[in-house]
Amino acid sequence: MANTETCLKEALASIEGATGVALVDYTSGMALGTMGGGKTFDLNVAAAGNTDVVRAKMRTMEHLGLKGQIEDILITLNDQYHLIRLVGGRGGNGLFLYLVLDNKRANLAMARHQLKRIEEDLEV
Amino acid sequence: MTVVDTTPPPRLPVRDRTAAAERAWGGLSPMLTRLAAERASGVLVRELGTLYLSEGRVVHAESPLAPGLDTLLTAHGTLTAEAWRDAVSRADERSGAAHLLLAGGHLAEGALQLCHLGALYDAAYFALAPSSAPGRFRYGVTHRLGPVLPVPVAALERETLRRRDLLRRIWPDPRADSAPLARTRTTAAPKLTARQQALLERIDGTRTAAELARELGRQAFHTLADVRRLASAGLVAPRPPEATTGPVATDDGPAATDEGRAATDDGPTTADERPAAEGTGPAVSGAGPPPGITERIACTTDPHITLLKRLRDALEAL
Repeated sequence: MANTETCLKEALASIEGATGVALVDYTSGMALGTMGGGKTFDLNVAAAGNTDVVRAKMRTMEHLGLKGQIEDILITLNDQYHLIRLVGGRGGNGLFLYLVLDNKRANLAMARHQLKRIEEDLEV
Repeated sequence: MTVVDTTPPPRLPVRDRTAAAERAWGGLSPMLTRLAAERASGVLVRELGTLYLSEGRVVHAESPLAPGLDTLLTAHGTLTAEAWRDAVSRADERSGAAHLLLAGGHLAEGALQLCHLGALYDAAYFALAPSSAPGRFRYGVTHRLGPVLPVPVAALERETLRRRDLLRRIWPDPRADSAPLARTRTTAAPKLTARQQALLERIDGTRTAAELARELGRQAFHTLADVRRLASAGLVAPRPPEATTGPVATDDGPAATDEGRAATDDGPTTADERPAAEGTGPAVSGAGPPPGITERIACTTDPHITLLKRLRDALEAL
């Protein structure tokens, strides 16, 4: 498994249009690592907020009695895509990757594919 | 009647609270802020936990209230207990246990980093909790684990504050954090997640959240968040502290006699301050008002009354 920093760096460098990426623990809402983002986009705040999104979806699925696992969650803004990918595996349980994409430059299908690969690398 | 016009009294000087708070704010622990500024290395021992510093950055944290990295790693089979013990016993100044675990191929680097960060922030949350005892710092002491991923003090403090706020938003009453937990009946229980269900099943009126976290091999803060969610749903309540157990157990003897004396001096105030203690301690209940409706309400399991009590508690805690 790649270490945290390598994994985030790879996501930011290899995924076209990526402007920020974070690895988040969704029970506490803490970003275990962030990269990119910048002054106008605080990834720590985004991480904490999107924890609620993941938790809400998981709760809904439990209420519905769905047995499947969330692979990823896509949120589209008028100028950005936000992609959330849950990290599988034993040790990764409770983590997700959060990727911010510029929608002018990003290829959604490719980004999803690449994020999946990085997540598998990260799998503990 | 003549009105005598006097000069109005001068305005009393008012202290600007926000400015004063900013001036006095030295971080969660002024000592830690100072140590970070001087890039100190060593160990900071506080009332509820210990922080290991290396060149002003936090490399490791431990707290009796949070399960250690060993528990987190071994509980779910990520690492065997033997491998951990072996690495810790072989660790020396030059290569810490973390280095040995990685070199031995027991653990991937990323997995160790993530687990370590989780454990560090978890223990630091308790270590940085408000305390009454002064902290002590010993220069030059290092941890057997060795460096993994150092965290700046500012980031740690920011996260700790965020966590406090998160817990307060879920359920503002902090009593459930330290008291033994008991299950309560509720009218409309929400559906629980698998994690919460596993936690709820282990709540039996004797163990605290910290003990449950250790048993489940989960981070203590995550358990606290789940406990508070269960408390806000009315499924769990802190068991009223008794004279023999609970967080006041350390100064058991003098507290009990104090209480008895106070109860005879001015009964009503004591009864107001310690309604729970009054109900459980037979000596005190003899001195106070006769156990009647108040005690029956305190022990009731009627879901409607417990709902009203939860509402009252939540409003009082706000």
